[in-house]
Amino acid sequence: MKLELDDQIYSLEAVQKASYRFIDRLTILISKSKGSHLCEINPVKGTESSLEENLEDFKRELLDQQLRKQIKEETEPARNLILAYAFSRSTLQK
Amino acid sequence: MSKFSTYDKYISQEGSYQLLPFRFERLENETIVVTNYVGEFVFLKTEELNDLVSKRLKPTDEIYSMLRSSHILKENGDAASIELLGLKTRTKFSNLPNFTNLHIFVVSLRCDHSCPYCQVSRQSENKAAFDMTFETADKALAIVFKSPNPAIKIEFQGGEPLLNFELIRYVVTKAKALNETARRELQFVIATTLSLITDEALDFCKENKVLLSCSLDGPEDLHNRNRPRPNKDSYERFVDGLKRARDKLGFDSVSALMTTSAGSLSRVKDIIDEYLRLDFDGIFLRHLSPYGFALKTKSYGAYNVEHWLDFYREGLDYILELNKQGIHFTEYFASLLLTKMLTSNDPGFVDLMNPAGLGIAAVVFNYDGDVYASDESRMLREMGDTTFKLGNLHSDSYEDIFTSELLLNALDDSFTASAPMCCDCAFEPWCGADPVFHHAIFGDVLGRKPESEFCKRIMGVVRYLLIKMKSDPQAKIIFMQWANKC
Repeated sequence: MKLELDDQIYSLEAVQKASYRFIDRLTILISKSKGSHLCEINPVKGTESSLEENLEDFKRELLDQQLRKQIKEETEPARNLILAYAFSRSTLQK
Repeated sequence: MSKFSTYDKYISQEGSYQLLPFRFERLENETIVVTNYVGEFVFLKTEELNDLVSKRLKPTDEIYSMLRSSHILKENGDAASIELLGLKTRTKFSNLPNFTNLHIFVVSLRCDHSCPYCQVSRQSENKAAFDMTFETADKALAIVFKSPNPAIKIEFQGGEPLLNFELIRYVVTKAKALNETARRELQFVIATTLSLITDEALDFCKENKVLLSCSLDGPEDLHNRNRPRPNKDSYERFVDGLKRARDKLGFDSVSALMTTSAGSLSRVKDIIDEYLRLDFDGIFLRHLSPYGFALKTKSYGAYNVEHWLDFYREGLDYILELNKQGIHFTEYFASLLLTKMLTSNDPGFVDLMNPAGLGIAAVVFNYDGDVYASDESRMLREMGDTTFKLGNLHSDSYEDIFTSELLLNALDDSFTASAPMCCDCAFEPWCGADPVFHHAIFGDVLGRKPESEFCKRIMGVVRYLLIKMKSDPQAKIIFMQWANKC
């Protein structure tokens, strides 16, 4: 089956990361179309849960990944500061 | 007129907070666990998470101060949040510069048992070719004392290490002599089935404070089925050896470890009861690893991670019930994870380390002088895979061994903070890299985490621990006791 995702809503990174998380249940081919990401989705053979069930979860995961990306971008300066502080008194830097 | 401004003067303005780095995972029923930069966690509802990220939370909201004190959000001027997270990060990794602590000497591959799930392909008892020599042991000791770690643990493994007890005696005596000048905190452990323990060996252990880590798989029938010996008397010998060892060395000097076979899966309560009957105060509900005979005899494939998780959850529930009845009994795998989840200490368990514990936390000297990056690495070697061989004691120096490209690449490539899926996972601060497992299964040190039984096992146990803590306040108190043992 195919899923079309608006690229103004979902970043490619979020789509890729969500797809990776489902690699044991779904095979997802991502391609670009005008204004959207196209996902061609097939179930992995031998998967216990149904395709429908996995798709519902995949859609929720897409939102989570988009949120994760937002948090990560917003907190990048803080992350760098924490690491800088953590190693500030080590003898690692010259 | 009051000398102080009123409360509302101190409350920050709505929307003026900033996010600090955090990650989240969904648990169940719209409950989300959020972990801060160093793995301290809080539970939120989906709506609360969305409000947090969209800056809709008000300082008067119930969760606001909790998120602020957990370093998940900060207000302008909260300089301490960043500094505290930096300090906690440094504490978390403070063991790294100490370098290698655990040094495993495989003193013999010979064994009197023929366990179908054995992770090191054993050789028959009469082949002296599979014993470590004194010359090899000397070279290994020279490497041991090059480690900068102030605490050094030397563990003797096999096969059955007691079959080469003369070498153990030699290594302990010589290590103690070397330590007269090295001045390390030195500890010795023999990993044994106890089947061949003699009074003479026990006297030596007592004199030199050598600890015994032994094997008990459960009640007599299960233990003997898992651990066949020529006279089918493994359990009988264990119980006899345990009593003599405890009488001689003291109760706390003897610990036990179990391995889960397919036959164990339906009997977790029997296994725990057996540990209680023999007066152990805890158990490590240990899964089987995909190495050595465990693969050859298909013992490893006899159950999957879901079966093991069912076994584990049933066992943990039973242990919690026992504790609620006043019987203090610990599940050690949970205890290791909870120490990481609830304290700033790292228990230093090799499987749960990032960077991986390969070489930098533990190293293995095989009977033939080969040096391996971990216990599992030498198990792979017995299957013909020498990927994690770092060198040989007879031809390579300390520097050659510990700066080998192979070791550095494996540590670098498996680092979870930059691994796909791990880098976004809320459980990452509590987890480990385990490159040897992933190499054994996937052929590369990273593996595909969604398909990884390691990942599923850790995620499964962590989820269960979190759900218990959220839903059962008594369980949370018990867990805090396990995590904060003296």
